[in-house]
Amino acid sequence: MKLVAVAACTSGIAHTYIAKEKILGAARSLGWDASVETQGTIGTETPLSPEDIAAADVVLLAVDIKVGGRERFEGKRVVEVGTSTVIASPTKLLTAIEQKLSE
Amino acid sequence: MTSSTAIPRPKLELKKHALTAISYMLPLVVAAGLLIAIGNLTGGTVIEDYSQEYTWQSALLSLGVLGMGLLPPVISAAIAYSISDRPGIAPGLLIGMIAGSIGAGFLGGMLGGFLVGWVVLALRRHLRVPVWAEGLMPMMIIPLLSTLIVGLLMFFVIGIPIVWATEALTGFLTGMQGEARLVFGAILGAMAAFDFGGPVNKTASLFADGLLLEGVQEPEAVKVLASMVPPFGVGISFLLSRLLRRPIYTRQEQDNIKIALPMGVCMITEGVIPIAAADIIRVVVACTSGAAVGGALSMWWGIGSPVPSGGLFIVPAMTNPLLFLAALAIGSTVTGLILFAWKKKVSEEVDPAAVVAEPEEEKDIDLSEIRFS
Repeated sequence: MKLVAVAACTSGIAHTYIAKEKILGAARSLGWDASVETQGTIGTETPLSPEDIAAADVVLLAVDIKVGGRERFEGKRVVEVGTSTVIASPTKLLTAIEQKLSE
Repeated sequence: MTSSTAIPRPKLELKKHALTAISYMLPLVVAAGLLIAIGNLTGGTVIEDYSQEYTWQSALLSLGVLGMGLLPPVISAAIAYSISDRPGIAPGLLIGMIAGSIGAGFLGGMLGGFLVGWVVLALRRHLRVPVWAEGLMPMMIIPLLSTLIVGLLMFFVIGIPIVWATEALTGFLTGMQGEARLVFGAILGAMAAFDFGGPVNKTASLFADGLLLEGVQEPEAVKVLASMVPPFGVGISFLLSRLLRRPIYTRQEQDNIKIALPMGVCMITEGVIPIAAADIIRVVVACTSGAAVGGALSMWWGIGSPVPSGGLFIVPAMTNPLLFLAALAIGSTVTGLILFAWKKKVSEEVDPAAVVAEPEEEKDIDLSEIRFS
């Protein structure tokens, strides 16, 4: 599985980056390939490349606020949750996404 | 963007739009609040007449005041942007200016932003123009029509009750005496600490930020205090467990506490989450209790904070830094003592490697919520 994700929280200084680590950690434990872009108060960091997005099986938006660049994911399967979901249950979320994808 | 993606999901998503506004507002409010604090501390006065000479102190203070005045427009524009994308920004700014001018402040800015967002969306979806006029839609028709509609509403209809509500609320809070202040401080403090930066904290935070814009500074001090009590309280309980040789934290948790403390200094409560997740009831009860005590004291002593965020670094800007530190210390100590007395002893023989390797307990989530779009 290949996953691309965007993380963004309200204050844009803490939850955004915790969410990124949680997604990467869960992806690693499941053997997925994952890239995560953060849209914090400092701006966009580690942006997703068009190649990554094109190759991704699914897009995960772990966001509490409006994020920029959603049009990049047009035509892709997009799952949107809050950062709290990703922080509380990253592996379960990814497993659930995989299940839904195979349905 | 094509027209198919311009139509958003039917969900209202009120919270997401409000949080987007908070997210855009925070850096502005911190910069403006600190400028006001520096200007005040160095003896500046608000400049009334720019044709006369003025000092740099007065310049900084006045810049901060101008910044605070920008908040209703920025809130309104950010909400409108969140709902209706770029076309919402210009009318959102204008409606926020009205809210600021008629005294509807923060509440008016929020409501105005929502109205602008929805009106712009409706115009984009339902207004059909001939092909030759399509270029005029984003440039003239949408900004003019949406501003006209919501602007008139704001001036003559919805602005009036908001001004009334804002005045009643600020009047009530500034007029509060004695026990009412204690209870208010305790509730606000408990809310701000309850979920370590989650939705309950954000609600308390939104409330305090809104009041700050109306010139009521005490709730903001309670919020700052309550955000720091959990990490410091956990730190104190860790210190006690070391001093009295009663281990209550695993190796992994100790490492987490060492990360949570510097985060706490910066007013980031989230560092406590890993410690709370392992023992949710005890940690939440201890943290909310400590924050309630600290919040009640802070309100009782009438400490105000002109700055909404920044942790220990903004304490000098408060109206009474020493009393604030006392309230913070007392609240954190309450949390620390509860944790130390209540938390179960852990055995030191646990292999630290095993603790690290053990996957964190994940919460069950409602899978039905997961949808592809």
